[in-house]
Amino acid sequence: MIVAERKPLDEIKRFIEGFERVLVVGCGGCATVCLAGGEAEVKIVGSALRIAARKEGRRQEVLEDCVTRQCEPEFVEQILVRVKEEGVTALLSLACGVGVNFLAERLGDIPVFPGLNTKFFGATAEPGVWVEMCAGCGNCMLHLTGGICPVARCSKSLLNGPCGGSTDGKCEISPDVDCGWALIVERMKRLGTLDQLAEITPARDWSSSPHGGPRRVVREDLRELAAEAEENSAAAS
Amino acid sequence: MDIDVEREAPCLVACPVHTDTRLMVEHILEGRYEDALDLLLEANPFTSVCGRICHHPCEESCRRVKVDAPLGLRQLKRFVVEATTDYRLRRRTPIERTRREKVAVVGAGPAGLTAAHDLVRAGFGVTVFEAGPEPGGMLGTTIPRYRLPYEVLREDIDDILALGVELRTECAVGRDISLEELRREFSATLIATGLSESRTLGVPGIDSHGVLLALPLLRAILAGGGAPLGERAVVIGGGNVAIDVARCARRLGAAEVTMACLEAREEMPAWEWETEEALEEGIELAPSWGPKAVLSAEGRVTGVELKQCVRVFDEEGKFNPAFDEAETTTLAADSVVLAIGQAADLTCLKGSSVKAGPGGRLEYDAETMGTSERGVFACGEVSTGPGAAVEAVADGHRAARAIAHFLDTGEVLKQPPREELPAIGELPEETVELIKARPRVEVARAPGETRVEDFSEIERGFTEAEARAEAQRCMACTTGAFVDEERCVGCLTCVRICPFGVATVTKTAAMPEEKCQACGLCAAVCPAAAIALKRYGTERIEEDLKRLLSEADASSSSVLIVSFCCLFETTSRKFLDENREEVAETGVARVLVPCVGRLSVPDILAPFEHGADGVCIIACAEGECLYPTAEERLGARVEQARRVLEEIGLHGDRIALWRTQESAEVSWTAFWEMSRRHLALIKAEEQKEAQ
Amino acid sequence: MKSGSNLERVLEAGHFTVTAEIGPPMGCNGEVVLEKARLLKGCADAFNITDCQTAVVRMSSIASAVLVMREGLEPVMQMTCRDRNRIAIQADILGAAALGIRNCLCIAGDHQSFGAAGRLKGHPGAKNVYDVDSIQLVSILKGLRDDGQQQGGDEVEMRPPLFIGAVWTPLGDPIDFRPFRLAKKVEAGTDFIQTQGIYDMELFRQQMAIAREMGLHERVAILAGIIVPRNLGMLRYMNSSVAGVTVPEELMGRMAAARKAAGEDKAQARRNQEEEGIRITVELIEQAQETEGVRGVHIQAIEWEQKVPEIVERAGLMPRPVMPAEG
Repeated sequence: MIVAERKPLDEIKRFIEGFERVLVVGCGGCATVCLAGGEAEVKIVGSALRIAARKEGRRQEVLEDCVTRQCEPEFVEQILVRVKEEGVTALLSLACGVGVNFLAERLGDIPVFPGLNTKFFGATAEPGVWVEMCAGCGNCMLHLTGGICPVARCSKSLLNGPCGGSTDGKCEISPDVDCGWALIVERMKRLGTLDQLAEITPARDWSSSPHGGPRRVVREDLRELAAEAEENSAAAS
Repeated sequence: MDIDVEREAPCLVACPVHTDTRLMVEHILEGRYEDALDLLLEANPFTSVCGRICHHPCEESCRRVKVDAPLGLRQLKRFVVEATTDYRLRRRTPIERTRREKVAVVGAGPAGLTAAHDLVRAGFGVTVFEAGPEPGGMLGTTIPRYRLPYEVLREDIDDILALGVELRTECAVGRDISLEELRREFSATLIATGLSESRTLGVPGIDSHGVLLALPLLRAILAGGGAPLGERAVVIGGGNVAIDVARCARRLGAAEVTMACLEAREEMPAWEWETEEALEEGIELAPSWGPKAVLSAEGRVTGVELKQCVRVFDEEGKFNPAFDEAETTTLAADSVVLAIGQAADLTCLKGSSVKAGPGGRLEYDAETMGTSERGVFACGEVSTGPGAAVEAVADGHRAARAIAHFLDTGEVLKQPPREELPAIGELPEETVELIKARPRVEVARAPGETRVEDFSEIERGFTEAEARAEAQRCMACTTGAFVDEERCVGCLTCVRICPFGVATVTKTAAMPEEKCQACGLCAAVCPAAAIALKRYGTERIEEDLKRLLSEADASSSSVLIVSFCCLFETTSRKFLDENREEVAETGVARVLVPCVGRLSVPDILAPFEHGADGVCIIACAEGECLYPTAEERLGARVEQARRVLEEIGLHGDRIALWRTQESAEVSWTAFWEMSRRHLALIKAEEQKEAQ
Repeated sequence: MKSGSNLERVLEAGHFTVTAEIGPPMGCNGEVVLEKARLLKGCADAFNITDCQTAVVRMSSIASAVLVMREGLEPVMQMTCRDRNRIAIQADILGAAALGIRNCLCIAGDHQSFGAAGRLKGHPGAKNVYDVDSIQLVSILKGLRDDGQQQGGDEVEMRPPLFIGAVWTPLGDPIDFRPFRLAKKVEAGTDFIQTQGIYDMELFRQQMAIAREMGLHERVAILAGIIVPRNLGMLRYMNSSVAGVTVPEELMGRMAAARKAAGEDKAQARRNQEEEGIRITVELIEQAQETEGVRGVHIQAIEWEQKVPEIVERAGLMPRPVMPAEG
């Protein structure tokens, strides 16, 4: 899932300082699961902002809401409606960066501020600890490395083995970071496929990754239906 | 929510009148003793009596038995009664008669008086006819005073009479007035005459001087007299009446008292605790012996010959004792008391067309509670056979419903003999292992030899501290967590947090109610705010806060604290009532929470939104918490809340976390004082910084 | 001859080769480089010029290499993968070749977070590149030199004559994987290897035995890296904090004794340790010479370059062979 972390509240406070009616919107997707931006966090942020406004003698209304996911048009519709009907002057999104973008695109003249710092795609290593596991490079090569990603989990994204800077399985940059290649070697040993690493992985085509530009995925089968629906509604009107 | 039918706590289900004992316990903890009394009396007009002598099927079904011992629900009930004497008197109000119809009740025992109570409250006129000088039935005439003091019985009876029930004592139906007259004068008649006669035996020597029947003997003892039982008394019988007789015999000076009964020790129908107490009082048991003959000399009892009983019940489970006539024994005795069963006194039927039925009882329909005559109903032991006091009350309620229906519609009402309710499932082994065992609070009894010196009550009620300590052991069955599936995202946080391994997630989370201990730790951390507790939802805290803080003046220089305190550390009601003036005076608004471990970060922050300067959380004493890991989890959440304050420019220390020392009454006031001083310093510092 | 470089020819001729290292300054004062070059002239067969080592911005390797060539020294330029993508790498290689640089050491490069260490602020927030790794880099250079092709497939008009080097950390983590790592670099086309600093000769020889078993010592010229220790603190630091470097207790003991012998005299203590350090270095060089499969040493005297001539002298490796001029 996408793992994010709440921004420091003093930073958030500065974003929304001049706005009279702020709506804090949570997300019921990844943000909830990584304890960063769900209903509970919305309550905490809302409460903190109201306490701060009270303490500083500022007039500021802080409203709260949460949607199933902030990356779907149908789910954010209720927010758009609410913004209009209740005269909201600024939005604070507690979704990942996607949610912030998505709302911002749909709210022409109302600013949307990020309440979270979106970190990475990751999984739960243990309760309360999430680690990065995927870099979204667009062309998965995990069949070559025992399922463990050198792009995301090697600090240098090396593709042909460990650099030699690791110590006891930890990366040279920090003892808290596992050496991705140590993990790969270990795993492939257990799979009995270590000799596959002798094969040289040539310089990679990065154009499928963010380096190639913002990406897009299309499912034509669903698209057609949408187009049909458009045709139908056009025909009906 | 569960898609199943709502299940009830097993104590409620087991009680013949379905008293919500779980809620009673919750009210005790909350300090709402008066509300507890109201709920008890609503279910059972004989609450005082049952608080002394009920056989507590609720305790037998208490799920806590797998962990350590069942809750002392009877004693807790007694505590409620003893703690609300003034309120009880105040709440007495006569009921306005709104119906034309009158009902006659024959017999002022618990069954009849319960029916009278219900019918008067439904607006009917009710007259109760009692043959004896006092109301109460067996409760007043044959239950020994060391178990049930008379004034306790009067508490219940006086409540009932105060509603407007008319009572005519020394008026025996079938002698002073006929059943037919009642049928003419009243719209319905209820026969509730009980089983007031003792059965006798046709064995040789039964007419000897010194052979007595149990019920008349007990009546005489309770009336203030007694019968000379001599040095050695033998009681024939193994039920509660036999036990009562034996224990009274000891108190009347019999040095040797033996109970001989057909049943084997484990089969004895008397309540087990009664038998234990009897043994403590020096009574001997002779189980599996039946009476063969009473021995006498010069017409006076000298002993009793017994024959071995090899079996009491036959293959069909019917009472059908079998004996080995060759195995006999003899017990020397100065008196022999027969406590072998009760029979009905059907004098009231004299001259009426209401028919008697088989076995010396009435002709009776168990579903409609009707007799052979229209408009004449029966309830209590006279129709059900021998039963406990609370069962009589249950039957009285049934009768009132039947009669009210009859008076409303002219039709009889079919009711199941007992309302079956679905109970929550059993406590699984793996959950049992995780629950902290706590010994049951017991009230010490005086030793048996001391007790038999007189008829004074052998048991005292709980002190307030004892009651509150025992009430804490309640697992609050059925009030656990439930999940809003719309909001739940299956994040597994509740699964990881739950100290009892209750929560599971397939698509969304579920907390099987038979496992959930209602600790609230999952709800406190659910990131989707999808979990609520049926027992104590912290959502209500905010309403309490708004109310409490509305009085306080936020701009004043004095300090305003909201203190979340652990309810379980209180040994009295001292801190349990809301007093808004007190808040204005002391600057401390208390919110009592059953385990502060259930407070979420928003809960801790909310007071600041409503004008509080500080939050003071008082948890239980170190290592005392009912719920494993709750102390650490709360600590982590307090740290989180402090960080939030720091991030918006307030001192994190505005949130204080204390551990109770000894008890609430001993330590909390000092904590508030310390918090107040600390906050005053912080406020002064901030003002200085602002300048 | 792949490149005709001095290094290549000395190795070809079968001599025990010596390379040394020159660290460029953090500013643009070329004189510093020239000074160092003059100091070191003649004490090694080729001289590595580091490329923003530990992610600290220094004068570029290529520019410094050109400067040392002015003084008549042969440079070994270093190319890290951290700071340039394949386009810039190939452009720089072609430029370096045009400027006469023949030896290139391909390394992944320390992570940019290393730049902020001690008193230095570095650029820990820089975006790193790592478009290709060190093995892919070796392949790219080989492709340019042997196939006359850029990585993307386009032809190069003139092939750069390169002697391709790579680094091996024989005692790195995971240690049983290190020989395979070497094999992969050899497979990719490495001509010479300079190892990470060796102190634990015993352990190094074990790894060399495996490498020999795999026949790698015959396909690539392995030069043992020797880092000159200046004092006990440096040995301790390297042992605990530099990945792939282990220092045996014995050596640390010797350095400690040297320091202790000076008692309170700090200046004497410093001199004692330096002398011991040079002694140790010379011993390690001698041991490297005795190790089968090792064809030379790469001496690193960090900010102490002036000692290298003395060390090479005492190790009996002076004078360096002078190869006949290219015909």
